[in-house]
Amino acid sequence: MNCTRYERWLWDDLEGRLSVAQAQELRQHLQACPHCQRRWEAAQVTYQALRTLPRRRAPEHLTQQVWARVQEASARKPAFAWWKRVALAPALGVLAAAAWWGWLAVNSEHGGVSGTATASQNADNWVEIHEQLEVADWSPTPTPSYFITTGYTR
Amino acid sequence: MVSDTVSYTGRRIEVDALSAEARLVERAQAQDETAFEQIMNLYADRLYNYILRMVGNPADAEDLLQEAFLRAYQGLPSFDGRASLSTWLYRIATNLCIDHQRKRARRVQTVSYFAWEDEEGEPGEWEFPDTQTPNPMESALNRELQQVVEQAIGSLSPKLRTVLLLYDVENLSYEEIARVLNIPMGTVKSRLNHARGQIQKQVEAYLRGESK
Repeated sequence: MNCTRYERWLWDDLEGRLSVAQAQELRQHLQACPHCQRRWEAAQVTYQALRTLPRRRAPEHLTQQVWARVQEASARKPAFAWWKRVALAPALGVLAAAAWWGWLAVNSEHGGVSGTATASQNADNWVEIHEQLEVADWSPTPTPSYFITTGYTR
Repeated sequence: MVSDTVSYTGRRIEVDALSAEARLVERAQAQDETAFEQIMNLYADRLYNYILRMVGNPADAEDLLQEAFLRAYQGLPSFDGRASLSTWLYRIATNLCIDHQRKRARRVQTVSYFAWEDEEGEPGEWEFPDTQTPNPMESALNRELQQVVEQAIGSLSPKLRTVLLLYDVENLSYEEIARVLNIPMGTVKSRLNHARGQIQKQVEAYLRGESK
């Protein structure tokens, strides 16, 4: 007899998850197997006990206590939390980069050929690095089929 | 909209209740304190029983319940309604219980549901439901058996206990538990089977007179 199989069915049966045929098969097995019959009784009692466990009422004055905590929490809330400071760091970085690019652009307009060449060289370098990163990201080892399917020509 | 007409189908009632709850949440999000108090009243008992069985100590349970509602209040503006309110509240409560257990992990402690004292310093007891169940099996369950089950729940690991309590005691579905714990449904079922198996073993021993 395969008791393990029927033991697995006990809780499914209690929850009405077995088909009619399975339930019938289980009943027949239970009649013939005292071991599973004991398991069945224990499962049934456990199932009922879990559903009728005593329940306690939440403490009185819960609402007032929660509101008191809400007020307490808002009172000790720092004006400028540490995580806001952390979040501000990248924003300041972006701002600094923008200022630098702006300064570079103004200098290139007023600073003659050498300034323009430097700015465009920088831009080219950035484009190249960016493309290299993209290629590395998409396909670490480009194959001929990669160039055909993507149309990538550079 | 909540229907004014009497609804005869369970599904319709469920939908109406959900939309009533959604409106309650909207009001609470709009800083309506009465609405938030209604939410607290709706869920206080359920969450308290769940937390109490998770941590096994009424003083800690009360503290964690207050903290859960505080976090819910603070998190309401970001609650988008993708999960149901109950799922969201159980998730907050579960996380708090897990944090609580982690903090106390170094201390060796046995969870006992009968170890607390009430206001007069007497040993605390669970309050039993007022209603008498008509089912002979249910009425045959005595206090002693329920104590065996409570103690068996207390002896489960937190992972197994969480799933068992949410499913068999709090009546959440597999899907809801998976969302509360952020784990696959298969894991929920597997943990539930293990938890039930362990409780059943202790109940079987009790029925055979091997314990107590």
